[in-house]
Amino acid sequence: MCGLAGIVRADRGSEVAEGALLRMARSIRHRGPDGYGLARGDGAGFVSTRLAIFDIPGGWQPMHDAERSSLLVYNGEVYNHPELRAALNRDGVATTTTSDTEVVLRLLERDGLATLDRLNGQFAFAWWQPRERRLTLVRDRFGVRPLHWALQGDGTIVFGSEAKALFASGEVAATPDLGGIDDVFTTWGPRAPRSPFAGVQQLPPGGLLVWEDGQIVAQRTWWEPAYEQDGQQPEDLAELLEDSVRLRLRADVPVGTYLSGGLDSSLITALAQRVSDHELRTFSVAFHDQHYDERGYQEQVAQTLGTRHHVVEVGPREIADAFPDVVWHAETPMIRTAPVPLSLLAQETRRQGITVVATGEGADELYWGYDLFKETALRTLHRQDPARAEALLDEIYPYVEGSAARRGPAWKRFFFEAGSDADPLFSHQTRIAATAAVKAFYTPETTAALAADDTQQRLRDSLPQAFERWSPLERAAYLEVTTLMSPYLLAAQGDRVAMAHGVEGRFPFLDHRVFAHSVRLAPERKLDGLREKAALRDLAASVLPAEIAQRTKQPYRSPEVAPFFGDHAPAWVQERLSDAALRDVGIFDPVRVGGLLRRCRAGKATGFREGMALVGVLSTQLWHERYCASADYPEETAAPRVSIDLSTAPTT
Amino acid sequence: MTDIQQAPLAQELRDYIAETFLYMHPEVDLKDDDQFLELGVIDSLGFVELVDEVQTRYGITVDDVEITEENFGSIVALVAFIEAKRAA
Repeated sequence: MCGLAGIVRADRGSEVAEGALLRMARSIRHRGPDGYGLARGDGAGFVSTRLAIFDIPGGWQPMHDAERSSLLVYNGEVYNHPELRAALNRDGVATTTTSDTEVVLRLLERDGLATLDRLNGQFAFAWWQPRERRLTLVRDRFGVRPLHWALQGDGTIVFGSEAKALFASGEVAATPDLGGIDDVFTTWGPRAPRSPFAGVQQLPPGGLLVWEDGQIVAQRTWWEPAYEQDGQQPEDLAELLEDSVRLRLRADVPVGTYLSGGLDSSLITALAQRVSDHELRTFSVAFHDQHYDERGYQEQVAQTLGTRHHVVEVGPREIADAFPDVVWHAETPMIRTAPVPLSLLAQETRRQGITVVATGEGADELYWGYDLFKETALRTLHRQDPARAEALLDEIYPYVEGSAARRGPAWKRFFFEAGSDADPLFSHQTRIAATAAVKAFYTPETTAALAADDTQQRLRDSLPQAFERWSPLERAAYLEVTTLMSPYLLAAQGDRVAMAHGVEGRFPFLDHRVFAHSVRLAPERKLDGLREKAALRDLAASVLPAEIAQRTKQPYRSPEVAPFFGDHAPAWVQERLSDAALRDVGIFDPVRVGGLLRRCRAGKATGFREGMALVGVLSTQLWHERYCASADYPEETAAPRVSIDLSTAPTT
Repeated sequence: MTDIQQAPLAQELRDYIAETFLYMHPEVDLKDDDQFLELGVIDSLGFVELVDEVQTRYGITVDDVEITEENFGSIVALVAFIEAKRAA
């Protein structure tokens, strides 16, 4: 839930203008449609926009203690807040609301950052201690909730859930960071601390930052995915996952689930139905194009479990019409249109009166569900037994067009010659190679500028020391969590498109206890030969139809070229992809892009790499227009629910 | 080389390569005996597309062992390979 933003100056006598805070509030009101609050004074200003889920009358922010020596703006949920509150109360710490925000604030005041290890949830927050003039920014373990910041030359720090709040402040300009953009065309999302904007940083998942008197005095991670064995036996998965679902159904509003028709979301829906005390609502995307459609499986699960089911049917026109707004909310170029149907799904979910949904996100990363894990296993096997590995390759990617026989040796060569196993990025070199198709469209100037900012090398340099001790599949899992899940799936395809419509996604698989379980689990209970997610399938067999429990994973995809060409194509497509517009932005080359557009118009751009290239170029052009070529951020006009004057707070 | 340059098959392949791959490499002036992989005009995934196109367009079946740079690596190689398959 919610959005947060703020400005804190090194000079306490330098005012933060109310207008700046009102513009920041307006820019992220979609995250908090139920109202907003402000705190201002003493060289600092804070904004909170609220999507009310817990303690609807009492949970307004910014929240502070009686002496105003500690103030919190907080976005997200701590699911174990009732247990933490009870423990606080037992220890003699009084609480006056039933909101999780107050629990986090009281714990921070008493225990400082040691609090973080006790929080089970998804959150980002800014904690202000005016006496010390200390600002602490924190982000949850997997980076479910976003947090951006920029340090100005005079020591002022500007921060916000979304980068647009920084630009709305009037203190930070939006200009492209080619390195951040190149991340998107390498591993699909801008990887913290970079963002697609120069000078704007993302706090890394599991990261914290401490600012004091104009300087960053600490910057570190308080949690990282690690794959060392701790000698403990894995817990019972059924009990653990059910508990995680139970915690994530806690809300003072009705909760639904997203149902893709695959194993993970079906399992979460089944467990939610088991522990829910009200009629469960399920929501699914269906496609006009049968190639992408999974409605048969979705309906089967909904009928079996007896949920009240809703379907949003999406075609090329809907994707094209919604694409510019999705880019605006995602704040990044992207290589897929897949976030668009999820934005339309969130819109419908909200329209149906549901503001909280549980989903199956995270299962493929924790329990090795993606084809990339099978690829990694086969590419590793290829070193010892090439014939066996090559024979098995035809068993994965059954959904790729063209028979395995026709794909033939060139296909095998692509996989088995894609990088050395001495490279830490070995598991991801096939994805990196395929995605690099977008980079073929860069201008020579873009390519030259990136020569000294190699995204793959940055990624290698960022890996933890323990990485080299992990198995090839554990390394693949770490990279999948940190390069795909957090920067893309939980962001452009997760938080941003759900919060665009004031809907909060909750992810039972991303409970840190479930992560620990997945690490302790024997490798063959995750990937058994080429059978993925063995442990989850066994659990699913007890609660779902066999057809769903045993179904091979189908990647979620959405049409990429068709929405933007043909009679229904919006006029802005041609305008944004014109030679003049491409030259104006300067990232992609008009001659190369012109060739791609000819193929798109002729219906010949049918390959997945051309689809990625088109979406990459078009989204970059839209992103640049909406952010870098415009700075129109109006002020919020509604009255705040909370307005705190910090200039009266004690300063010594 | 004269025969190849004038053959309709060679022109068809040149057009296909230009339209499908060369547009991403406007700096390359591809000659009939230039090697696709060496010049970076076609990478290994592009090779998959090329083999697929040759099989579909010319109605020939390509065995695994035939998918080599000797047969698919240049316009000259492709013309020779396709003509040999047709004659077989």
